[in-house]
Amino acid sequence: MGRRVHLGSDLVFGLTVLALFVATALLASALAPYDPHAFSGQSLERPSPAHPLGTNDAGQDILSELVYGARISLAVALGAAAGTVALGTLVGGVAGYLGGWLDGLLMRLVDVVLTLPRLPLLILLTAFLGSGLAQTTAVIALLFWPASARVIRAQVQSVRRRGYVRMARNFGGGPGYVLRRHILPQIGPLIVSGLVTAAGQAVAMEAGLAFLGLGDPTAKSWGLMMRFALNLPGLLLTDRWLWWLLPPGLCVTLLILALTFTGMGLENYLHPRLRRL
Amino acid sequence: MKRRILSYLLTLWIVLTVNFLLPRLLPGDPLAALLDPESSDYVFDAEVRAALEAYYGLDRPLSEQYGRYLLGALTGDLGRSIRLNQPVGELIRTHLPWTLLLTGTGLVLASLLGLWGGAEAAWRRGTWSDRALVTAGVVAGNAPVYFVGMVLLILFGVRLGWLPLAGGRTPFAHYDTLLAAVADVGKHLFLPALTLILALVGGKFLLVRSNVVSVLGEDFMLVARAKGLPTGRLKWRHALRNALLPFVAHLAAHASMAITGAVFIETLFNYPGMGRLIFEAVGARDYPVIQGVFLVVSTVVLTANMLADVLNTRLDPRLREE
Repeated sequence: MGRRVHLGSDLVFGLTVLALFVATALLASALAPYDPHAFSGQSLERPSPAHPLGTNDAGQDILSELVYGARISLAVALGAAAGTVALGTLVGGVAGYLGGWLDGLLMRLVDVVLTLPRLPLLILLTAFLGSGLAQTTAVIALLFWPASARVIRAQVQSVRRRGYVRMARNFGGGPGYVLRRHILPQIGPLIVSGLVTAAGQAVAMEAGLAFLGLGDPTAKSWGLMMRFALNLPGLLLTDRWLWWLLPPGLCVTLLILALTFTGMGLENYLHPRLRRL
Repeated sequence: MKRRILSYLLTLWIVLTVNFLLPRLLPGDPLAALLDPESSDYVFDAEVRAALEAYYGLDRPLSEQYGRYLLGALTGDLGRSIRLNQPVGELIRTHLPWTLLLTGTGLVLASLLGLWGGAEAAWRRGTWSDRALVTAGVVAGNAPVYFVGMVLLILFGVRLGWLPLAGGRTPFAHYDTLLAAVADVGKHLFLPALTLILALVGGKFLLVRSNVVSVLGEDFMLVARAKGLPTGRLKWRHALRNALLPFVAHLAAHASMAITGAVFIETLFNYPGMGRLIFEAVGARDYPVIQGVFLVVSTVVLTANMLADVLNTRLDPRLREE
């Protein structure tokens, strides 16, 4: 008889929307009616059967841009989240497991990065290191890891003090064995929910940077679409914003919310004891 | 406490140094805009270029630039903007009040709303109105601020035409009375501030709510209820007051979030504050302005963090022993 699994409405909503976005990104070449870079129509066409969301000022199909944009958002989210959690787990794990002066040093570093004003620094770094997708991904990971390091460190510290871990070490279990066998299973759930949370922040930041004009100018991301739309003089005076500005904005918002709700749902699911009252 | 202050001073020094080094890692020097053949500001003469570099100190060794920079930062001399040929200190003086007006309004109103809503929702936890508020809080707190601002701008600024689209006040306006000036500034402030409030209130609401919910289970609440105290007194004097402490601890973090939000909001609404200043400076590679704004913003955020630390040790004696 299987255990009844209750996922909760947060998780169901989050995962469903997330799956839709992932499917769109994977099947982009089949779903999009045109190549997003191709000049497939006249400039600024209204929605029609040929161009369901019309065309932009350069005559490119907006729906195709939108579909391919999912790839960019998800790729940056995945890369940045993996980087954030990897750095956080490494620093938090080392600090929590080894302790001592190294712990003190690493936690000072965490304090420093956490107190730095994030967005101005993000703008500064992006402006100076370049605005390719790889740089954006790296910069986001570089600024967001400390929160994850703190959480991991606390958990590693508490697991380390437990009886069975002490026992394993007293019986001669090396750090590698103890980490793999006893610590990792305990921080696994934290890594998973940390990944999802970091991915949500990365989506918001990537689109935000592109919106500010600090993203990769050749990557057709949702943030860049919004930027180009808003830069068209008089855009808001016609109803053109309805099919050019609104869809990418809604996609960014929906993807972030899907990740947020997935993260919340996972936290409840993996840590029933922490469940919010 | 001494260690805390030392740690903040260390952070400040790191900020200062990062701030100095980063622009110098940039491909292309700060005068590139003046020296780019494509640019309208192009300076042809090689001698003039050398003179410009000498004037801005870029030909000196890095260590000397660093020393001059630290000295300048400590004495409040932040150099001159290359793009606008104006002292950076003066640029910040004209832009900072707008940002403070925006973030101040946003923080105060979002805090009040969050406290009130959080206490009310916690009081009726589990009901459908609580669940709706929690979902709304999560959505408001996580929706990207630039998109929320854009929708508000389109709705109230363009479609309904109730409020101005951009700027901090009407250009070239001449005010006959103080009241007219306040009304004009307020009208321009409304949409940016509303956007910021929406961005901040979600997190505050969720925080207050979960704090109040955990306070509700305490013994003293049971005693207070058994004494027959009226609901209002229970809710506001007993429950909310004890949930205030973690709220204060998070205020500093929210202060830095307010500045983050302000960068997007100021860009979107063309609001003449610090966020737009740093953004335009980055576009023009205007080193002194980027450094100056980043420095001032970092100092403000660090000071807010330190103040919250001090305030918390005052509020909670248990923290003093650590």
